[in-house]
Amino acid sequence: MTVLLQLLFQGVGIGAVYALVALGFVLIYRATNVVNFAQGQFAVVGAYSMVVTTADLGLPYWLGILITLAVMAVFGALFNLGVYYPLRNRSFLPVVISTIGASIFITNIILGIYGPEPSMLAPMLDAPGISLGALFLDAQYLTIIAVTLALVALQYLFFEHTLLGKRMQAVSQDKEMASLLGIKVGWMIMLTFIYSAMLGGIAGILVAPILFVSVGLGGQIALKAFAATIIGGFGDVPGAIVGGIAIGVIETFGAYYISVPYKDAFAFIVLFAFLLLRPSGLFGEKVSQKA
Amino acid sequence: MRLGARSVVLAALLAGLAAAPVRAEDLKLGMVVPITGAAAESGRFAQWGAQLAADEVNAAGGVLGRKLVLAIEDDQTSNPGGVAAFNRLASDASIVAFLGSIRSTQTQAMDPDVRRVAKPVFFGGTDPELTRGGDPWLFRCRPNDAYSAKVIAAFGVNELKLKKWAVVFSTDAFGSNGHKHLVEELKADGAEVVTEQGYANQATDFTPVVLAIKGSPADVIGSYFTFEQDLGIFARQLRQLGVRTPWVGSPSIVATTALRLSGPALFGTYGVADFNADSSPEAHAFADAYKAAHKMAPDNFSSWTYDAVKLAARAINTAKSTDPKAVREAILAVRDYKGVEGTYDFDANGDGLHGYNIVKNDGGKVVFIKHIEFAP
Repeated sequence: MTVLLQLLFQGVGIGAVYALVALGFVLIYRATNVVNFAQGQFAVVGAYSMVVTTADLGLPYWLGILITLAVMAVFGALFNLGVYYPLRNRSFLPVVISTIGASIFITNIILGIYGPEPSMLAPMLDAPGISLGALFLDAQYLTIIAVTLALVALQYLFFEHTLLGKRMQAVSQDKEMASLLGIKVGWMIMLTFIYSAMLGGIAGILVAPILFVSVGLGGQIALKAFAATIIGGFGDVPGAIVGGIAIGVIETFGAYYISVPYKDAFAFIVLFAFLLLRPSGLFGEKVSQKA
Repeated sequence: MRLGARSVVLAALLAGLAAAPVRAEDLKLGMVVPITGAAAESGRFAQWGAQLAADEVNAAGGVLGRKLVLAIEDDQTSNPGGVAAFNRLASDASIVAFLGSIRSTQTQAMDPDVRRVAKPVFFGGTDPELTRGGDPWLFRCRPNDAYSAKVIAAFGVNELKLKKWAVVFSTDAFGSNGHKHLVEELKADGAEVVTEQGYANQATDFTPVVLAIKGSPADVIGSYFTFEQDLGIFARQLRQLGVRTPWVGSPSIVATTALRLSGPALFGTYGVADFNADSSPEAHAFADAYKAAHKMAPDNFSSWTYDAVKLAARAINTAKSTDPKAVREAILAVRDYKGVEGTYDFDANGDGLHGYNIVKNDGGKVVFIKHIEFAP
């Protein structure tokens, strides 16, 4: 029983990280119909920003987080202007290639500055965690789960109950119609990029104390997050959350009960199953219905 | 015009680099080393070690009365780069012997050209197969991985008296080879392997592995981790879930990066290391000289090149000739030579070392425990 609960806790914890990155994928996809393959690198930039502010400059943790969020906001805006905006009227493919190019560019810039050696980031809380009998709840994983829940709640309130949120939704549903209604489509897309970059940055901040900080950090998470978005239904917000947590739990249980070396395969077996049997995912709408 | 001036300056610089110390009567050793690319930093250490040895050889009268100099080419931290660098050096007929790579895959890539050139090549890669392929010109200056498994098993079973082993390993080529050898050695030593846990590199979570070890009757862990990050995540989760069994790991467990990332989670663990400054008076003297010259402690990147240059000089002096066949015979005849990596007794395959040091992480400081040596 303890083993079961321990596996469940770890699975949900790592799944919450996949979910956060998946959320970034989904928001940008909804706003632009493009998959942003640099989403994982957003987490890397956020993690390095934390290392620079808290470890190198010695600033307090909360200030490091605020600065990192600001850095990510600027980064998201620049990313939009440099990678998406010039190609916004082109088809799907050039934009996707552009995001892949940006991902390689960011990776190598960071590699050039910091080298391949991993850096460390202190955990958010001082306490190591909570022991309940033989069960151990790592404080950082608890933080991850709590922050993810809070962000999901905030995001729900924002999109359903504020005018700005509704405008952004309108843009994601139909750009031309939104534009006819006087919504500034370009600005809404800009806001989406800023928010997605901040989400990616938060994922980086949260996961860095567990996985250490190196350029490989983004790739480790982004591929699973991508699988999560497909399982959840591409473009669906609750789907990204459920998909992310499902992948975390499935791979953790699969690793323990079946095979550790094939751990990464379980996520993709589930992905294949969904692509074959239910391509629209758990909550997704069919593409024809969206337009 | 400005471009012209620049090219002249550049050409002058390049000419200056190329023309520097080599004179006709000097005795040349070729050295393939990463000057650019991801391993450039370790390449600098390798050059420092080799240069230190060359300076000592020259201070003691040189080789056959001639001054020993190094001819260095960049391998760009890649296999094609290594092959190209070796062939550039090999085109200089006056080079007597070479220092190759510390990387097994590079050594493998250079192997056909080494056979063709037919001159002695010292190298540091630790894949056991490299010297078993029948290339008579390869000479290894580090213990190969078959010995790391022997030493981990011998230390755990004979010294710590622990017989129920959990083996954790990366599923890449290095880790699965280590796993294979370790399981064989443990069985030969009469120990029992109660759980074998492989993982894929760049893992995010080791909970399933830790729970499997916790649920097994294992009283000791043996490990082959390739990357220090994976080692760090595993070590922390191991301690968090309350596993305190002794742990003997492959060299990565005492790597500087692992000590920095893992901190207290690795305190009290044992590891195998091919170079340790406290393992012998020779290693100690080398560490002192290296520190005096470069203001930092040496590691295995510089220790094997130091030994290789000393061994080359010694073999040429013994052979009283630069004839490759005579030098080869002289290297194979080396017995009981005290290098800084250990004591060299070359076997017929060209393996010079047959043991490892056992070290312990004592509160974050790596201390020497003992050297375990096997018959060649």
